[in-house]
Amino acid sequence: MKNPLIKRIPRELVADWHKYIVIIIFMVVMIGVVSGMYVGHDSMLGSVYSGRKVLKLEDGSFELSKRASKELIDDISTGAKADVRQYFIDKGMKEADEEVEKAINENVANEVKALIEENVRAQAVSYGITDEKIIQRQIDTAVENNFEEAVAEAKKSDEFKKAEEEAYDKAHEEVTKKVDEKWDEISEEYNLDDKDFFEVPVKIYEHFYRDENEDNDGDGETDATVRIYRSDSKIDKASFNEGRAPKSSDEIAIDRMHADNVGVKVGDMITVGKEKFEVVGLLSYVNYLTLHESNTDLMFDAFGFDVAMLTPEGFDKLNSRIHYNYAYMYETKPEGKTEKADYSDSFLKALITQVLVRDNEIKDYLPEYVRQASNFAPSDIEGDTTGTCILCYILIGVIAFIFAITISNTIEKEASVIGTLRASGYSKGELIIHYMSMPVIVTLIGAVVGNVLGYTAFRDLAVNLYYNSYSLPTCKTVWSNSALVKTTLIPLLLMFCVNLIVIVKKLQLSPLRFLRHDLAKTKRTKARRLPRWSFLRRFRIRILFQNMPNYIVLILGVILIELMLCFAFGLPDSLSHYADKAPDMMFAKYQYMLMDNKDDDGNIIETSQESAEKFSSKSLMYPKNISSGFKGMGSGGDESVTVYGIAEDSDYVKLRSDIDKNGVYISSAMKNKFGIVKGDTIKLNEEYENKSYKFTVEGVIDYDGGIAVFMKNEDFIEVFDEKSDHFSGFFSRKEIKDIDDQYIATVITKDDILKVTKQLTHSMGGMMNVFKYALIVLAAALIYLLAKIIIERNEHSISMAKILGFMNGEIGSLYILPTAMIVVLFSVVSFVVGYFLMVRIFQIFVLQMDGYFAFYMSVGSMVLSVVYLLIGYAVVSVIDFIRIKRIPMDVALKNME
Amino acid sequence: MYLFHKKEINMIENFLEIKELKKSFGSGEAKQDVLRGMDFSVKKGEFCVLLGPSGSGKSTLLNIIGGIDTPDSGYVSINGDKLEDMNEKQLTQYRRKHLGYVFQMYNLIPNLNVKENIEVGAYLADNPLDVEEVITTLGLQDHKYKYPNQLSGGQQQRVSIGRAVVKNPDILMCDEPTGALDYKTSKEILALIEDCNKKFGSTIIMVTHNEAIKYMADHVIKLRDGVVRHNDINDSKIPASELEW
Repeated sequence: MKNPLIKRIPRELVADWHKYIVIIIFMVVMIGVVSGMYVGHDSMLGSVYSGRKVLKLEDGSFELSKRASKELIDDISTGAKADVRQYFIDKGMKEADEEVEKAINENVANEVKALIEENVRAQAVSYGITDEKIIQRQIDTAVENNFEEAVAEAKKSDEFKKAEEEAYDKAHEEVTKKVDEKWDEISEEYNLDDKDFFEVPVKIYEHFYRDENEDNDGDGETDATVRIYRSDSKIDKASFNEGRAPKSSDEIAIDRMHADNVGVKVGDMITVGKEKFEVVGLLSYVNYLTLHESNTDLMFDAFGFDVAMLTPEGFDKLNSRIHYNYAYMYETKPEGKTEKADYSDSFLKALITQVLVRDNEIKDYLPEYVRQASNFAPSDIEGDTTGTCILCYILIGVIAFIFAITISNTIEKEASVIGTLRASGYSKGELIIHYMSMPVIVTLIGAVVGNVLGYTAFRDLAVNLYYNSYSLPTCKTVWSNSALVKTTLIPLLLMFCVNLIVIVKKLQLSPLRFLRHDLAKTKRTKARRLPRWSFLRRFRIRILFQNMPNYIVLILGVILIELMLCFAFGLPDSLSHYADKAPDMMFAKYQYMLMDNKDDDGNIIETSQESAEKFSSKSLMYPKNISSGFKGMGSGGDESVTVYGIAEDSDYVKLRSDIDKNGVYISSAMKNKFGIVKGDTIKLNEEYENKSYKFTVEGVIDYDGGIAVFMKNEDFIEVFDEKSDHFSGFFSRKEIKDIDDQYIATVITKDDILKVTKQLTHSMGGMMNVFKYALIVLAAALIYLLAKIIIERNEHSISMAKILGFMNGEIGSLYILPTAMIVVLFSVVSFVVGYFLMVRIFQIFVLQMDGYFAFYMSVGSMVLSVVYLLIGYAVVSVIDFIRIKRIPMDVALKNME
Repeated sequence: MYLFHKKEINMIENFLEIKELKKSFGSGEAKQDVLRGMDFSVKKGEFCVLLGPSGSGKSTLLNIIGGIDTPDSGYVSINGDKLEDMNEKQLTQYRRKHLGYVFQMYNLIPNLNVKENIEVGAYLADNPLDVEEVITTLGLQDHKYKYPNQLSGGQQQRVSIGRAVVKNPDILMCDEPTGALDYKTSKEILALIEDCNKKFGSTIIMVTHNEAIKYMADHVIKLRDGVVRHNDINDSKIPASELEW
């Protein structure tokens, strides 16, 4: 026989449907959003990573100044270094041979001519000719007739041969001597003696492109730069989000994100260069997930830069310069960052030598693992879910908590039934299972519906958030284990444990105590004496004392509500605050990063700009998970840290002069993000090498714009083993105009920082709104549930008060007013607690992302957080009052169960 | 129609034995001795009434017999098994397999209907009676799909009796089962309990302060101030229907 108690569950669900519907909606929204985030996240990353294989993402690419010969391609493919010594010797020999030959020929000609003249003059003397003109004419004729024969004759002579041989030998000797003398210089220049070098065979693909001007609105003005590849490319292919690849020479497919930003649709006409094309497809190139025009760009620009695909014929119609770009794939794939770096280093060394010996020139080289355009998006997506997850657990915890309270109230209400059942022989276990079923079933319903929505509607929501930010390929939904664990198993477990503890503890009492309704742990012997207030006032105070545990729950709930509201309001506030403060965060109005500190002629790059100040910089990695205070809290991975070498007496960054070699200052962003304090030792690692450095933190520079470490430039040079004249760029208050653009890698100005925040707001804006509204709904649901618990618990007393003749208004003032007082009194306190909890949670949240921005709430938002709570409670009070009015008098009369 | 099939009742001597039972509540000056050394025994199949005024210790005694309370000293043995030797699990099993409980307050489960409330008892027994038959005998066939709040007090008490007897228990414990009922309904309820004793042979231990009920019992134990004042066997018992008070 099935336990008949099971039948209670659906009836209880139906009877108290509004409570359970609120709880289920709460769970569905939360689990749905979180599951959607995970599924969207895993599906998007899955699509990105599978796209890398399917669409043949390069392992790197290089650009040459002219088209490579087949031989050069073959030689590069071997991965072997060219024989540079032999190249220089051969080159020298060739030049030497030419010179020697020229000298010998000149010599022989002169000697032959002299001999012919001597013979003609001797004959003229014998014939008595004295006229110099006749003699000269005879000489010319003789040279003309006999020169070549005479030269040939002369060259046959042993004497000539010997001299020729000697000359060549001497010249060759010279060349070899010169190459040997200069060998050290050459080998250093091309890094030929590198012991770590190994051959990296690759397969090379032509991947030419043109950069053209794009006019996408037909106004004759250039709107963007478009980089065009051919549709027959065998590497770095595109996936089509909409439309198709171009088939004729007047069709084009362009980047989806760019099209989205500038409002171009399939079927529109755009002008590229001087040609008009019809847009037939919106695509995502596997190597352009973000539209970084140059790898040194601080931020991608999906408005001003575009990538596109044309047919080979369409490509040939254009006039701009062809970039002879070649992409390569390693024959054997490297694993991990260090190996990738080793492969790319070796390949570059071989490439330089091969290109050199084939008289070509490398214009650009970029291994894929450092390519921003293909790595920025996935690495940004990767660390995107922890904030959501933490929020989810908090909310599930809240639900478990509400359930525990509700069940604990139900157990109290049903005490005599429980006593009877226990007296009749029901075991504690059977009752525990019975009371556990409701929270477990509700969680299961929430989890199932939430997950179904997570895989459908909310997944699309999450995926669209990514699409708003990056040029991503079409997304295929994948099964997400993390979604299952984090949105179903963990909530179930959490719900199960919290409720189990509460129920087991409640059901510990003996059947007799249940029968007697004797459930209090401690027996109060005396009632508290109250001053001589009015009766109603004392009654109210009694109710307050009597419901103390419920009010404590209410206060905890209000704190959680404030926490949620802080999250809802604080996130957008923090972003806009960051955007507002960004310009002040620059320690120099302009920050010029140079490609190298020397120009093509080997001269140090200087400027006449007076405000310019040299600095050195280097990027190292800080291992997040060793950060104090955050162990195991969703941290992981490494964060890039910019290490600055600052000039003595700097105008831009003030460092104490007496700090020692390993003493550094850190930015306030780094201090706040990782909780590092003065006196701590930090360890920074090279990203692509097995090398690390330890520094002692001597102070903090007030700079929230980035994770940075500052040290004296002389220490920088010593620690990182740089040359004494090393520097990386200039800080400047004014624009520097006398440095050629080709030497400048990037300039960071206020606009760049704003570009970052603009993109962040754009990327996260949608998500923040989802959170904001979801959290406001959840906060309202929570206060509704909490207030309902108090009324439910007092149902019997309220009914009795009605019988005694109390009016609804009086009862309302007795039961609602204390709750209102508690909510109002604790709204501000709860806000403060919620705010500081949020600051802490935000720190963990930010730890997942690269960079830093502090949690900030405007005064307006702070007030709104409290006001929303109060408005919410006011609405709930009205509902409560209606509820009180509806409580029938027979609740107190008809026996209880 | 009879609820229980008639069967021969063997009065086993000392089926329920209570020896030197003591129980007090509170401590120090507030200490109150509720049971002050109680001795008696009940035969199997006997209808035993525990009679006494409020505070005489009769409910405490019933709770100790039912294994939901424990004595300070002395013991209760049922069919030779001492309750004090049983752990919590064994006590639960004992209640589950051998006892049926009827309280003054019916303690029905509000969101289960009449039939289901009776099934709550049937679920616990290895050989329960037929639920439909029990409902019919209790006169609840027209109410079997009603919820407790749709029933009168008498009807609710019938359901609570049904929940107890459907288990086919060895002992039916009744704690003031008519305490909250009117005269007529009380008599109907007593007749049902009497029926249970006669037709099924269950031992009945009924706590009451209603002197009139003693006339329908086989065995009347009068308690006062925690001790047995009278322990009488009633040789001339009358049916419940003839009781007057």
